Amino acid sequence: MTNVIKQSGAYLEIVSFHLGEQEFCIDIMAIREIRGWAPVTPMPHTPRYVLGLINLRGAVIPVIDMACRLGMPMTEPSERSAIIVTDIKGKLVGLLVEQVSDMMSIKAEDLQPAPEIIPEAQRAFCRGIVALEKNMVCFLNLDTVIADELSMAA
Amino acid sequence: MKLSVSQRLWVSGVAAFIGIGSLVVVGWYSSNAVSSALEHSQVIDGIDRQVTDLRFANEELRLAAMDIIIDRAERQISADRKTMLEASIKLLKGGASVVSSFAKAEGLSVDASALSADVDLIVKAAGEQLPALVTGGAPEAEFDKIDDVIDSAGGRIQTVLDVVSTATGKAQQREISAAMDQVQQSAFVQLLIGVVAILLAGGLIAWQSSNVMKGLNAVRRSMNRIAEGDTATPVDGTARADEIGQIARVAETLRKATVEKERVEVAAHEARLNADRERSDNETERQRDEEEIRRCVTILAGGLARLAEGDLTQQIDDPFRADLERLRQDYNAAVTRLSTVIGNITDQSSSIHSSSVQIRMAADDLAKRTEQQAASLEETSSALEQITITMRGSTSKAEAAGTLVEGTKVQAEKSTTVVREAMQAMERIESASAEIGKIINVIDEIAFQTNLLALNAGVEAARAGEAGKGFAVVAQEVRELANRAATAAKDIKQLVARSSAEVQTGAELVTATGQALRDIGADVVKINEHMISIVSAAREQNAGLAEINTAIGQMDHVTQQNAAMVEQTNAACQTLNEDTTRLENVISQFRIKLGMPAQSQAERPSVHANTPIPPRAPVVSTGFKPAIAPAQPGQRPRSSPAQKLMGRLENAFGGAPAKSTLQSSGQRASAQASPSTDQWEEF
Repeated sequence: MTNVIKQSGAYLEIVSFHLGEQEFCIDIMAIREIRGWAPVTPMPHTPRYVLGLINLRGAVIPVIDMACRLGMPMTEPSERSAIIVTDIKGKLVGLLVEQVSDMMSIKAEDLQPAPEIIPEAQRAFCRGIVALEKNMVCFLNLDTVIADELSMAA
Repeated sequence: MKLSVSQRLWVSGVAAFIGIGSLVVVGWYSSNAVSSALEHSQVIDGIDRQVTDLRFANEELRLAAMDIIIDRAERQISADRKTMLEASIKLLKGGASVVSSFAKAEGLSVDASALSADVDLIVKAAGEQLPALVTGGAPEAEFDKIDDVIDSAGGRIQTVLDVVSTATGKAQQREISAAMDQVQQSAFVQLLIGVVAILLAGGLIAWQSSNVMKGLNAVRRSMNRIAEGDTATPVDGTARADEIGQIARVAETLRKATVEKERVEVAAHEARLNADRERSDNETERQRDEEEIRRCVTILAGGLARLAEGDLTQQIDDPFRADLERLRQDYNAAVTRLSTVIGNITDQSSSIHSSSVQIRMAADDLAKRTEQQAASLEETSSALEQITITMRGSTSKAEAAGTLVEGTKVQAEKSTTVVREAMQAMERIESASAEIGKIINVIDEIAFQTNLLALNAGVEAARAGEAGKGFAVVAQEVRELANRAATAAKDIKQLVARSSAEVQTGAELVTATGQALRDIGADVVKINEHMISIVSAAREQNAGLAEINTAIGQMDHVTQQNAAMVEQTNAACQTLNEDTTRLENVISQFRIKLGMPAQSQAERPSVHANTPIPPRAPVVSTGFKPAIAPAQPGQRPRSSPAQKLMGRLENAFGGAPAKSTLQSSGQRASAQASPSTDQWEEF
C-alpha cells in the first residue's frame, strides 16, 4: 500500500473523467484502453458496485461502477458512457465512468495532498488534489480502489 | 123516292153515259171485224200476184229451154239465157211451197204435191241436164227427150197455176162481201142503241126536272107571301128531304123571326110612352132643388175665392140644406187643417234653413280636410317613390353582395385546399427533420467513437513515453476535432429539435387556420342564405310597395271624387238655402188665425240672415265620426297593404334570429294597439 507520488518526471500524464458533478482523474499509465459502454453480464454475490463481466477480445474482465464504488449514486449507463480498462497490479479491470472529459499533463508540484483532517481510510482513495483554473480534480489511487475490491471479493 | 137534286142530276147523267158507251163499244167491235177481213183479202191478193209471177217464170223457163235446144249447135249456153234460166228456177222453187200451202188451205182439187214434184223435175231437167247435154254435145234423141220432159212438166205446172189463180180471185170476192155485211150489221145495231138511249135519258130528265121545279115553285110562292107581309101562313115543302126542303125550312125560320121582332117592337113602344110620363112629373121638383143648390154654391164659391187669395181665417157659418151640410163642414175643416199645415210648414222651413247653413259649413270644412288629405297623399306618394328607388338600389346591392359572397365561398374552399397542402408540406419538413436527426446521431456517434479512439491513441502515446510525444499531440488534436464535431452535432440536434418544434407549432397554426377558414366558409354559406333572404324580402317589399302605390292612386282618385262631391254638396246647400227663402216667401202669402200652432215670420228667429257659425269640432264629431267610427259588426275592416307587406317580410325571415321576430312582433303589437292604423278605411 505505497502511497508514493512519483516525483521522477516533472510532468504527470492524467486522464480526467466525470462522475456526476464531480471530476476525477487517474494516471494514464494505468490505462490500457478506453472503450464505449457495452452491456455487462452480472455476477452473483458481488458488491453493488461490481456491475458484471464483459468480454474484451477474449479476456473476461470485471466492470466496476466508479460512482458507486466512491459512495455516490449508481451511474445510469448510456451510449455516451465509457469503460476505462485499467491494468492494476497485472489485473485488468473496467471502470464505468459517465464521460471521459480530458487528457492532460500536469506538473508534479500541482498535485497537492488531500487535507489530513479527512480520516485515513478515506484518504487512501485519493493520491492528491489537482487544482485547475476552473475546478479541482481528485487524483484517484486505483490500487486502493481495486485492492479493496479484490480483497473483499476474496 | 127521296133523292137530292144532285142525285137526280147524277141519275140522268149516268143514263146518257151508258147509252154513249154502248155505242162506242159496238162501233169499235165492228171496225175491228172489218179491218181483219180487209187484211185477209190483202194476203190473198199477195198470193194471187205471186201465182201470176210463177206463171210468167214457168213460161220463160220453157222458152229459154227451147232456145237452148235450138241453138245446141253452138255447144254452149249464152250468158243472158243462163241468167234468165237461173232466175226462173229460183222463182219456181220459192213459190211452189206458198202455192201448195194456199191450195191446201182453200181445199182445192189440184194436187199440191204433184206441183212440187213437177217443179223439181223441170228444175232438174232445165237447170242441170240441159246444160250438161249442150256442153257435152249430146245426140239429137237426148235433146228431144229432155224437151218433152220440160214441155210436159211446164204444161202441168201451168194448169195448176191457172186453177189456183181462179181460186184466189174467188176468195178475194168472198172476203170483201163478208166485210160489207159486217158494216151493215153494225150500223143497224148502233142506230137501235142510240134510239133507246135517247128515249131513256130524255124521259128521266123530264121526270126529274118536273119534280124539282114543282118544289122550287112552292118555295117561291111562300117567300113571295112573306115579302108581301103575310107572315101567318106557314111555308110549303118543309117536309122535303132534298136541298129545296132545306131552303123551305130556312124560309120558315125567317118567317118565325119576323113574327117575334114585330112583337118586341110593340112592347118597346109602350115602355117609352110610360117613361115620358114619369119625366114630366119629376121636372118641377128638380127646379126647387136647383134653387137651393145655387145658393149653397154661391156661398161656397165666396169661401173658395178667399181661400184662393190666401185667407185661411174665414169660416162658413150659415147652415146649408141638410144634404149639403156635410159640404160646409168639410170646407170649414179643410180651412182649419190647411192653416195648421201652413203654420207647421213655416216652422219646418226655418228649421231646414238653419240645418242647411250647418250643412254648408260642414261641407266647407270637409272640403278643407279633403284638400289636406290630397296634399298628404301627394307627399306620401313622393315619399313612396323615394322608398321604391332606395329599395331597388338596396335590392341590386344585396344581389351584388350575394355574388361576392358566392365568390368568397369559392375562395374559402380553395384556401382549405391550400391549408391541406401546407399541412402536407409541414409533415414533409418534419420527416426531413427526423432524417436530419438520425444523420446527426450518426455524426455524434462517429465523434464519440473518434474521441474514444483519440483517447486510446493518447493513452498509447503516453505509454510510449518520449517517443509518443508527437503522436500524443496529434491524438489531442483529433480529440479536439472530435469534440468540436460532437458539439456541432449537438448544436444541430438542438436546432433541428427547435425547428421541429416550430414546425409542430406551424402545423398547429395551419390546422387552426384551416379550421378558421372552414368556419369562414360555413359562415359565408350562412351569409349567402341571409343574402338570399334579404333579396327575396326586398322583392316582396317591391311588390308590397307597388300595391301601396296602387292603393294610394285609388285613394287619390277617391279623394278627388270626394272633393267633387263636396263642391256639389256646397252648390246643393246654396240651392237649398235659396229654396228655403223662396218657400218662406210663398208661405208668407197665407194669413193664419192667431192662436194656431203656426207663428208668423216676424216672430220666429231669423236663421238664414246672420246665423252664428257653430264651432267646428261639434260639426266634425256629430257629422263625420258616427258615419265611420262605429264598427259594423261582422264586417272586417280591409287590411292595409303595408300590413300585408309586414306580414310577408316576417314570413321571409321565418328562420331569422329571435331578436328580429321580437322586433316585428313588437311592431305588430304597436300596430294593433293603435286602431287608426289598423282600420285602413279610416285612414
